[in-house]
Amino acid sequence: MSFFDLKGTLKPLTALKQFGKKPHTISYPKVSKEAADRYRGFHYNDLEECIGCGNCSTICQNAAIDMIHLEGIEGKKGDSGLRPRIDHGRCCWCALCVEVCPTGSLSLTKDYNYVSEDPDSFLWTPGKDNPQGKEKISFFSTEETSLNVFQRVPMPELEGKERVKSFAEVVLGYSETEARAEASRCISCGLCTEVCPDHMHIPEYINAIASGNDADAVRIIYDNNPLPEMCGKVCTHRCEDVCAIASRGEAIAIQWLKRYATETAATADITHEIVNPEIREANGKTVGIVGAGPSGLTAAYYLALRGYDVTIYEANAKAGGATMYGIPKYRFPIDSLDKQIDYIQSIGVKINFNTKVGKDISFKEIYDNNDAVFMGVGFPDAWSLGVDGENAEGSIQAFRYLYMINSGEKVDIGDKVIVVGGGNVAIDAARVSRRMGAEVTILYRRRVADMPAAQDEIDGAEEEGVTIVPQAIPIKVIEDEKGHVKAVEYLKAEMVPDERGGRPRPVAIEGSNTIIEATSVMAAIGQKGDYSFLEKEFEDKIKIERGRFIVNEKQQTGDPKVFAGGDAVNRTADAISAIADGFRACKAIDEMLMTK
Amino acid sequence: MMKELKEHIIRRVKANFTEAEENNDFTYDRLDFTVKKEVVPSLLLFLKEEMGFKHLSHASCVDWLEEGELELVFILWSPKDKIKVFVRTRLDRDNPVMDNMDNIWPQLHTYEREFREMFGVQFTGLEAPDEFILEDWQGPPPFRRDFDTAAYAEKTFWHRPGREDAQDVRETIANRDGEDIPDFAKKYSR
Repeated sequence: MSFFDLKGTLKPLTALKQFGKKPHTISYPKVSKEAADRYRGFHYNDLEECIGCGNCSTICQNAAIDMIHLEGIEGKKGDSGLRPRIDHGRCCWCALCVEVCPTGSLSLTKDYNYVSEDPDSFLWTPGKDNPQGKEKISFFSTEETSLNVFQRVPMPELEGKERVKSFAEVVLGYSETEARAEASRCISCGLCTEVCPDHMHIPEYINAIASGNDADAVRIIYDNNPLPEMCGKVCTHRCEDVCAIASRGEAIAIQWLKRYATETAATADITHEIVNPEIREANGKTVGIVGAGPSGLTAAYYLALRGYDVTIYEANAKAGGATMYGIPKYRFPIDSLDKQIDYIQSIGVKINFNTKVGKDISFKEIYDNNDAVFMGVGFPDAWSLGVDGENAEGSIQAFRYLYMINSGEKVDIGDKVIVVGGGNVAIDAARVSRRMGAEVTILYRRRVADMPAAQDEIDGAEEEGVTIVPQAIPIKVIEDEKGHVKAVEYLKAEMVPDERGGRPRPVAIEGSNTIIEATSVMAAIGQKGDYSFLEKEFEDKIKIERGRFIVNEKQQTGDPKVFAGGDAVNRTADAISAIADGFRACKAIDEMLMTK
Repeated sequence: MMKELKEHIIRRVKANFTEAEENNDFTYDRLDFTVKKEVVPSLLLFLKEEMGFKHLSHASCVDWLEEGELELVFILWSPKDKIKVFVRTRLDRDNPVMDNMDNIWPQLHTYEREFREMFGVQFTGLEAPDEFILEDWQGPPPFRRDFDTAAYAEKTFWHRPGREDAQDVRETIANRDGEDIPDFAKKYSR
């Protein structure tokens, strides 16, 4: 070995060639490789977005998912208040739960490491126990990839141009195939039942339709609603607002499926045969009912089934109340109503038509001769406009106009109709007037978006050629020399935010006076009750406040023997709330009379 | 170009396998042929050796429960022409027997073992151990649609303690509102 070892000095420098290369050793702290896109690791659930429908729990083939109460999450309308907890020891990561989650709140993350000596610690609640999962979501469902069907089977309808030619029903109804397909979209969570004032057994009857058992569906429907075909045609269907499927798609057509099922029972006789109601033996008690509207008919039907002798006193020639006289026939044909009334009568309910309580028979007489009384008297009067000239010839209440048309009377409205108001009555009067051949303009004080009428009704009116003038406040009905309506003068309004946090108020713009020609003016700004039939002696007990009867949660008035329901009690002003009132009252009357 | 290629393939296949039914409805690089099960081995061989479909991309089985049939699907790829062909055939669901074809593509061996175990399809001449993925499996083939996975899991695996507080969604809502679901309706509840 020489003193100066050149080779030994230079050789180590060859190591420098490794300088720019990636090390093969594991770096510290260790960095795990990120899992693949769409990796199916542990679950994450967005607890705010989740509505507790339980579809994940139902689909799980390993029974790994429980629905449980979580602290701080309360049930409310559209939310069961339950959340999924998963036994990750049973989970096989198939992710079906994610693919059937209607809201998309449930997803899988890239997390897959979980080490524990305690197997029971594999039971935990996604979202609550792994809030960090939100940042690692990898497998989730979209409207396209979800196994839910988010599109509704379209309902066949008459076209706008065809509709105005007659009073033919606009909605044509589902065929059997369409109904089965639509019913199959339902995930049976039951969130809808909570919003239905009558708590109908919606998932059950929809499931019966989906499995091809229409008769069972009809029986389930009649369990707590004796006027279901009416609801199938004209219900406010608030149930559909909270449909789990509606969180990312179109709600199940609950109303139309009910309509489909009830229409399979084509006559009252067939209905009787299918429902095959169990009528209890007469118990010797009698109940008198004032008004054959939805609430009165409902109370009567279920009381009669329970063995009571029930008589309804109805001022008009036909039963149905506002649904008979207020709703146009293109929405609710008279045959359909007749069928349901015939069926109710067929189980023993007696209806005395053309018998106005307070005139043809006194309330006291009904009160004295019965063990209990139910009042479903509705709102028979309408508010007037309160402007100059409103008593001119050709000025009529929209409510009254609908009554006359539905009774088959002839009403001369001319060819230019102005309807004032924004509720369903206004829209109905406008659409009926279109069918009578008139040009129709609706004047409404607020914006179209503020109209209390159902959106599909507003759309229907516009399709049929009704002109809607929003932010218009009528100030005068102008008469011609013969005292007939000639025009309407209105002021344009601007929307002023409400200081108290309410909805914006319309304020008239001075000098914006506009005159619009008219042959007829219809006011549709609301209805009110008429309680003149009640004798003085009942005044102390049966309390009326702000135009409505005061009742307890059993529909009972201050007089324990007298119950009330329908528009004269509740503010929702719809048939299904009235039906719910009647059903509740029936149970309360039964309870009261049977425990005596 | 693709259209002519597809027509050429259809012509060649039909000249040799007159009963083959083609499906040429796809707008992309795909063509389907449905044949009787006896024809499948020779059609696969023909496509591989004569038509350039050297590569077996995939094979799968579909359970047509309502029609009483199982369907085998073979997806072939031609690296030269950049087109895939699906070869489909239906078997009797009660007696699904097929010829072993792992001599055409060795990788079919694995697929066949899977079909045998998961769908109950028997391959005449397949030499392989009885068990593939499942251990000590006694039940019906688990990928068939009438196999009730949930019932099997329920029967086989015990529930971990601590899950007794689970609630039923429908019941929770009904109780909250005082809704009485009649007994005859309950069979339609979830």
